[in-house]
Amino acid sequence: MIYLQLIFEYFKTGLFSFGGGYATIPFLYHLAENYDWFTTKQLSDMIAVASITPGPVGVNVATYSGFTTSGIFGALIATGALIFPSFIIAVIVAKLLAKFRENKYVQSAIYALKPAGCGLLAAVAIGLFRENVVQLWAYILFGLLFLMSLKVKKDPLVYLGLSGIIGLVLGGLKIL
Amino acid sequence: MQKSVWNIYKTFFKIGTILLGGGYVILPLLQSEIVDKKGWANSEDIVEYFALSQSLPGIIAANISIFVGYKLQGVRGALAAITGVITPAFLAIVLIANILSELVAKHSIQSIFSGVAVGVVILVLLTVKEMWGKSLVDNFTRIVFLISMVLACLKISPVLIILGSIFAGIIYRSFKDNDISSADI
Repeated sequence: MIYLQLIFEYFKTGLFSFGGGYATIPFLYHLAENYDWFTTKQLSDMIAVASITPGPVGVNVATYSGFTTSGIFGALIATGALIFPSFIIAVIVAKLLAKFRENKYVQSAIYALKPAGCGLLAAVAIGLFRENVVQLWAYILFGLLFLMSLKVKKDPLVYLGLSGIIGLVLGGLKIL
Repeated sequence: MQKSVWNIYKTFFKIGTILLGGGYVILPLLQSEIVDKKGWANSEDIVEYFALSQSLPGIIAANISIFVGYKLQGVRGALAAITGVITPAFLAIVLIANILSELVAKHSIQSIFSGVAVGVVILVLLTVKEMWGKSLVDNFTRIVFLISMVLACLKISPVLIILGSIFAGIIYRSFKDNDISSADI
């Protein structure tokens, strides 16, 4: 029974959350309120921890609630149910796109789609900046990383690793 | 490196492992692994898949992995990419599920997270810069970029923004084609 509920709820979340990982969050709060899979406190811990564990937050929460309610099998089916709708839909869209790529209207659509996608990502960057770069140390770190990015093209892992270590050191020095 | 299903899985497993600080980080990671190192796709493909992923249901990082995997090896490639990208996430959560609350409360963990959060902003900005060059080619695309950015900052649904841009693109191109053909006459 719990398996069916997990499948049903996560399938629904996967199917109806538009606009990325954070769009799943309202659905997850709904789950916290309606089932005893996890509390809202656990969910907010989960969202915090999702940014330091690999993978998208929605996937992390699905795995977590499946695991805590019914073990590794529960974790598998909750995660699978969340991904399944997007898999089917994205594959269909990719197939259609491959078939009609030469079409005049599809080309016009893609021509406008790309700057729009770029604009959406720029808005994400602005949002992240306002949220994450608040204190003086963060402005300084941001400035240094930015200067570094102008000089050398480094692996993303270098930025993540470096900023994590600097965070840890500042935390140790009680600056954070 | 060959685009075999196993290699796709391995590459996405690596991307999934360093996918820290939220799903958007997948874009710089794809740029680095798939475009720069492997040459399996170009930045234009990535920005196109990102825009499409935003307008489809589900998690962006998952959708975009499915698109890239499909481009590389069809349905089997899509399956390899999505399972590769979520395997590390799955394992990480199963391993730390029991100590989750203690982990979040740790000061050192929070410090690391605050630092990484700054690094993430730079990574996303660098990706915007990369995509910018590939997708802003004339005045029309510059206007689309600006309007989309402003609307997204105002919290307008990305689905509407993407649909609106598609509509605008088709109308604009149709008019432009008409202009050219009438000029020929």
